[in-house]
Amino acid sequence: MVRRVLSLTSGRIAVAVLAVIALLAILGPWLAPHDPLATSDDTLAAACGPHWLGTDHLGRDVLSRLLDGSRISVLGSLEVAGVALAVGAIPGILSVYLGRVFEWFTLRLTDTLVALPFLLFAVAVIALLGNGITQAMLVTGTLVSPLFYRVARAATLTVARSPYVEAALISGASLGWIVRRHVWAKVLPPIAVALAQTIGVGFVIVSSLTFLGIGVQPPEPTWGGLLASDLGYLDYRPWGPLAPAALIMATVWACNLLADAIRDVSGEAGRALLNGRKARAHRLGTPDTAPTGGA
Amino acid sequence: MTTLSQEAARAETRPADAGPATPPVLSVRDVHIHDRASDREIVHGVSFDLTPGRTVGIVGESGSGKTLTCRATLGILPPHFEVSAGTIEIDGTDTATLTGRQWTELRGSTISAVFQDPSSYLNPSLRVGAQIAEVLRVKTGLKRREARLRALELLRAVHLRDPELVYGQYTFELSGGMLQRVLIAAAIAAGPRILIADEATTALDVTVQAEILDLLADLRESTGLALVVVSHDLAVVAQLCDEVLVMRQGEVVEHGPTRTVLDTPRHPYTRLLVDEHESYGLDRFLAPKEEAA
Amino acid sequence: MTTLTPRAVPPARRRGVAVARTRHTLVRVLAALARSVMIFVPVFVVATFVTFALRSLSGLSPARIQLGEEATPEAVARVEAEWGLDRPFLVQYADWFGGVLHGRLGTSWTNGADISTLIGLGLGVSLSVATLALVIGVLVGFLLGTVAALRRTTWIDRTITGFVTLISVMPAFVVGIVLVAVFAVGLGLFPAAGYVPAEAGIGPWLAHITLPAVALSFDVIADVARQLRGSLVAAYRENYVTGAVVRGLSPRRIFFGHVLRNGLGPALATLGLKFPALVGASVVTEWIFGLQGFGRFANDSAQAGDVPAVQGVLVVSIVLVVVFNLIVNLVLARVTPASQRGV
Repeated sequence: MVRRVLSLTSGRIAVAVLAVIALLAILGPWLAPHDPLATSDDTLAAACGPHWLGTDHLGRDVLSRLLDGSRISVLGSLEVAGVALAVGAIPGILSVYLGRVFEWFTLRLTDTLVALPFLLFAVAVIALLGNGITQAMLVTGTLVSPLFYRVARAATLTVARSPYVEAALISGASLGWIVRRHVWAKVLPPIAVALAQTIGVGFVIVSSLTFLGIGVQPPEPTWGGLLASDLGYLDYRPWGPLAPAALIMATVWACNLLADAIRDVSGEAGRALLNGRKARAHRLGTPDTAPTGGA
Repeated sequence: MTTLSQEAARAETRPADAGPATPPVLSVRDVHIHDRASDREIVHGVSFDLTPGRTVGIVGESGSGKTLTCRATLGILPPHFEVSAGTIEIDGTDTATLTGRQWTELRGSTISAVFQDPSSYLNPSLRVGAQIAEVLRVKTGLKRREARLRALELLRAVHLRDPELVYGQYTFELSGGMLQRVLIAAAIAAGPRILIADEATTALDVTVQAEILDLLADLRESTGLALVVVSHDLAVVAQLCDEVLVMRQGEVVEHGPTRTVLDTPRHPYTRLLVDEHESYGLDRFLAPKEEAA
Repeated sequence: MTTLTPRAVPPARRRGVAVARTRHTLVRVLAALARSVMIFVPVFVVATFVTFALRSLSGLSPARIQLGEEATPEAVARVEAEWGLDRPFLVQYADWFGGVLHGRLGTSWTNGADISTLIGLGLGVSLSVATLALVIGVLVGFLLGTVAALRRTTWIDRTITGFVTLISVMPAFVVGIVLVAVFAVGLGLFPAAGYVPAEAGIGPWLAHITLPAVALSFDVIADVARQLRGSLVAAYRENYVTGAVVRGLSPRRIFFGHVLRNGLGPALATLGLKFPALVGASVVTEWIFGLQGFGRFANDSAQAGDVPAVQGVLVVSIVLVVVFNLIVNLVLARVTPASQRGV
């Protein structure tokens, strides 16, 4: 499937952007030209030689802070997505097999979770339980899990009750074989789509929380935090918010693009799309022998 | 004599309503339809004339081009299809010269259609009666109350037993046969002169199928409607049509009066169709009856 | 069904049908209400229980706020007793819950004020902004979605879709910052912060809530536009459009009477899901724009460790979301009756 996604332009762009962000997160601290915490006298400087993105109000190099802060954002969003996947997908799949009570219970639970404003809850939980982005990510992941529940459940339902699975069972195929051959292929794409979307959402939430100054100690740089401090000095550096804002938006956009790309190449429509492209690519040369169109 | 031509004979004993001097209300001349997407010609030269009170049948299997031809006469070809050659004239006007607005005028009041799967051609969120009344209000300028009354009349005219009840129902509350009658009512509401029935009975039970065909025949008698009946089923065409076109892969392989085509088919494909009907028809398993002279 | 000569339907039967139909609608509405309530109650209980439990887990107490960090254990115990925090957990919970059912949300640890009043003050602000955001979002989203669907696959459609995608990735607070930078600080067209109640004048009131409302509306615009475009395009592919065309109805009538009617439902349903996100995002926008609203109150209380206030906030936000969803469902029921029955 990775190959199929990469065959689309949108897929390639999305993966490229996300790979860059991931690299920044991993290698950030080493790539940073300056110590992100080091203050200096050169405050609120514009982009110049030693400071590619200028400095903030305490003379700290913005670029280094951005690079260093990428870790928290990336890790946080991955945590949200991971928790949501675990908390949502497993009950989703099980709800098809574990009987009516379990099904009713998990369905109602999902309905209620959807009703809760997750940012509000995240703020509440973090503040009440003390610092730590991790707790907030746990809560947010749980609150966002209904998406995975629904996706996993829908995918499992279509597979479990589908004629070809029944046929396979009747002809003696083992459950493991069926899972590998049929269930996996059907369930993976929608979950991958949901995962991509949730990472994007997680990103926004982490940025929002760090913006409010929740969950991280002050000198530690975060993308949201950079935005927050820039807010106070707009008169002096009006273009200040540009870099962190652009990074946040680019990441979220890439996540959504990836989700769309995965959705486009999966399922019946996806195969038709890819076949169409292949057909067009082969058109040069022998004339088509496609069936007559229309009745 | 085959049972098909028996039916055709029955159809022919009607008094001919239109003499040869009446101008055709629909005339299709050597129409070719081209698909831009695959850059191929799908329909290669279809021609027929339709005069008031007469019925033309088009027979063919899926992919033969019969639906595309119908859509061309209605002006609703799918986006990448076009009429690449030939003319279609409705009531003397060449349809190639029509603007969108003129087409909207023409449809419903001069030419109309019913299709297979009637439930999908009505809006599922509106009551069916309201949809008929809508056509009346828009096309014939009736006020709301009068439109409702006229719609009820129409529902009665298509032999629905309880027009009041049906008027207020949604599509999912009605059976296939009832829906097809509703669709016919909506199609003839504005008094068109041409009605195209594209596989109108294909999705219905056999008994209902017979009733709908009878209904169409009745309407033809009472209003002088000109019909185009499209089907893959030769029996349907035999029951109702004066002349028949047999299409195969976009070409008209046979064209003539129904009786002639069924009794003495010239093209091997037509012969195949007739023979298969014979071999697989129900009569083969019934006790032999006295043959009519 | 056989072809019989049509008989007149006895008037009694016709009346019976009409009565049955109205009863049907009533039952449906009540069922929708009942369903919402059924969902609401467990959420309510669970969420409030969890926040109550959080307090015990967190070890937060009013003593810390009132006395500071260096309070002696005796002082802390005394303060806690004053607040009734030395009673058993379940007793406290039952007590609080009972109060909530009467509309009393408790007293704030920070200043002893009645929480219901505090929240009430903040709600006015937040709801003004949220309503304006929804109005903008729906109107603009509707416009964009419709135009894109009507001109699908042309450059207009592509531009709008691109624009909408761009908007959808801009989190509310980013937009808020940009708006402040450009319109308030840069161009000075709008005030950068603060709030003026409508009683003091519609003009200033609008001036203060426009920028935050716009910031919150982006998400709504994007979702509504995308949904509407999608469902309108899908509706146009349906056979009933062909049916209407063939009956000679004009494109405008087909659009307003048939396509839009069927396409509106899913777009409206999206709104219901957007509301919780809106409430959440307002937490940040109110911070940016200096609005003393509900979200701001939530943030401040949480940061101060004022547990009863946070509990009150959570309760109110749940109620808001449920009520809003109820309204949306009722509107949906009116607009597309067939969809409710799962056609």
